[in-house]
Amino acid sequence: MLRKADTNFGFAIAAALIFFFIGGTLTTIVPPLVDKTWAKPFENSDPAKGPVGQLKPYTDVELKGRAIYVREGCWYCHTQQTRTLLADTKRSGWKGVDSPISTPDEFVYDSPHMFGTKRTGPDLSRVGGKYDTQWHRTHFRNPRDLVPGSIMPPFPWLVANQEEFTAVVAYLQTLGRAKHWRPDNDYEK
Amino acid sequence: MPEEISNTVKSGPAGIAGSWPEHEDTTAKWFLISSIAYFFIVGIIAVTIAAKFVWPSLLGTVQYLTYGRLRPLHVNGMLFGWLLAADMGLTYYLVPRLCGVKLWSEKLGVATAALWNVIVLGAVVCLLMGWNQGLEYAELPLPLDVLVVVAWIMFGANIFMTIASRKYDQMYVSIWYIMGTILWTAFVYLTGNFAVLFATGTNQANLNWMYVHNAVGLIFTPVGLALAYYFIPKASNTPLYSHKLSMIGFWSLAFVYVWTGAHHMLHGPISQWLQTIAIAFSLMLLIPVWAVVYNFFATMKGQWHQLKDNVPLKFLMSGVVFYLLTCFQGPMHSLRSVNAIVSKTDWIPGHAHMAVLGAFSFFAIAGTYFMIPRVFRTRLFSESLGNWSFWFLMLGGLGFFTTLWLGGFWQGWQWNNPAIPFIDTVIALKPVWIVRFFSGILMFLGIVSFAYNIMATIIGAKDNPETAAA
Repeated sequence: MLRKADTNFGFAIAAALIFFFIGGTLTTIVPPLVDKTWAKPFENSDPAKGPVGQLKPYTDVELKGRAIYVREGCWYCHTQQTRTLLADTKRSGWKGVDSPISTPDEFVYDSPHMFGTKRTGPDLSRVGGKYDTQWHRTHFRNPRDLVPGSIMPPFPWLVANQEEFTAVVAYLQTLGRAKHWRPDNDYEK
Repeated sequence: MPEEISNTVKSGPAGIAGSWPEHEDTTAKWFLISSIAYFFIVGIIAVTIAAKFVWPSLLGTVQYLTYGRLRPLHVNGMLFGWLLAADMGLTYYLVPRLCGVKLWSEKLGVATAALWNVIVLGAVVCLLMGWNQGLEYAELPLPLDVLVVVAWIMFGANIFMTIASRKYDQMYVSIWYIMGTILWTAFVYLTGNFAVLFATGTNQANLNWMYVHNAVGLIFTPVGLALAYYFIPKASNTPLYSHKLSMIGFWSLAFVYVWTGAHHMLHGPISQWLQTIAIAFSLMLLIPVWAVVYNFFATMKGQWHQLKDNVPLKFLMSGVVFYLLTCFQGPMHSLRSVNAIVSKTDWIPGHAHMAVLGAFSFFAIAGTYFMIPRVFRTRLFSESLGNWSFWFLMLGGLGFFTTLWLGGFWQGWQWNNPAIPFIDTVIALKPVWIVRFFSGILMFLGIVSFAYNIMATIIGAKDNPETAAA
């Protein structure tokens, strides 16, 4: 039947588009209609169902920090997803407690999404609240001062700009905090 | 393959009979020349970011030259400045010849080439300034996206009008692939650059990866195969082995490729059933790939000796082998067990470079080596420099691919042992990145010798006329 596409211009075009649209529609438009958790912000108050907590929209300062994170291309080397792999939950964990896996409902307010494809540096999906502002200041100025062997580039212009530095740290402190899972002994308490 | 097309592909229409059109090829020339210039310039960026893995503070105090800004410039520059522009230039060359007519409008074509250069130069400014949309392969800000759409419509209209006015009834397989590229790209690009802006979180990521995956699968793959289907029979002066196999390859590609975007999020925050669909269709990708590759190998049966001193054919057939390998890796990465090791590691750039450099850039380089002497009616400046460019790219490429695979696999094993601190997995990779940097230098030497050879051919064309048929 497809032999007709050898000689018939219109038929070739129509067939190529139909073949493409079957998969295209079923994998892009249909999934969010079927799986409602993609669009519903995380909220849980029942400890029996897993970590409790609520996803809050970003504040203006956090959004500004997020824009800097996008601008500087942090996302080319840092993923933001604790995958369904045991090692990921341990690496995202803190003080001996494993992190919960990342779920779509934790990212509803993210645009652009920052899931990432390459993990040159550690995953940041649960980094919020783990390191204080002074740590971040020193680390941005020269990562190797705090982490010998790191290959992260220095970001002196971020540290020099108080407004931008405050914003980007505010954003980093939000990461992964919709779910309450960490022990109560980090720096803020 | 019907006789007339067979002859077209085998020996070229021009000069055989009196009624053949005289091709101007102005558009093809401009696209090719500018794309080769970007290949060279972006090659410098590529070596620079490879160096940053070895010396992380290199250029570290210059905001505009930090890794996070040069990396998207490298990716976008190579994909859109070099590869897609070269593919478009070669399309402007081969479509009129396969149709036996002149290009519909050279004026429109030259305008498209000019607009494309505006887009690429705009992209350089935007990406260095950090005006980045934050979506992979879709980094360019909205105004440039709109210009890309305009340029694509200009390109598509020109090519479709040429095909519609063709002299032969039968459309050769390269023509289907080019039509497919133009149509699918339109929708894939709109999804990845416009529809994504209306979604957030996982939904947006799903659209983003549909685009990222199909930028390779439904843009660079079909146009690359269109080149291979044209230039392999041409460069070897051998008819294509099987028309039926090429049909199986094309229509299965059209159906299967678009389903697989979610395999970029295996184990991630996206529905399990969608991951499973993506895995199943990723495995089916073996069908179009093996059909195409078998066809090319069978075409070469009894002709392999030609590889000895045929520079375009060397690039073409090595490209086919890299295509086979990269498209074997792809489905294998989609298996959950393999993905748990290689995903997000340095294996992935090894894989991606084999597709975009090893397969599709090799096809475009072969096409350029074949086309430039013909459209400028001269001989290649130096066959031996052509050989050098092949071996530089081949050895540099192999060094790059294999060290990143080994390193990435090792890195993945280390990540899966949480007793190893993350920073130790970074330090462990340092020797790998040193080898990658030196492989990158070899690849860059290949680019330089290729670009110099083509430039010298063009500049020397007037003094070195060759009356052979174009």
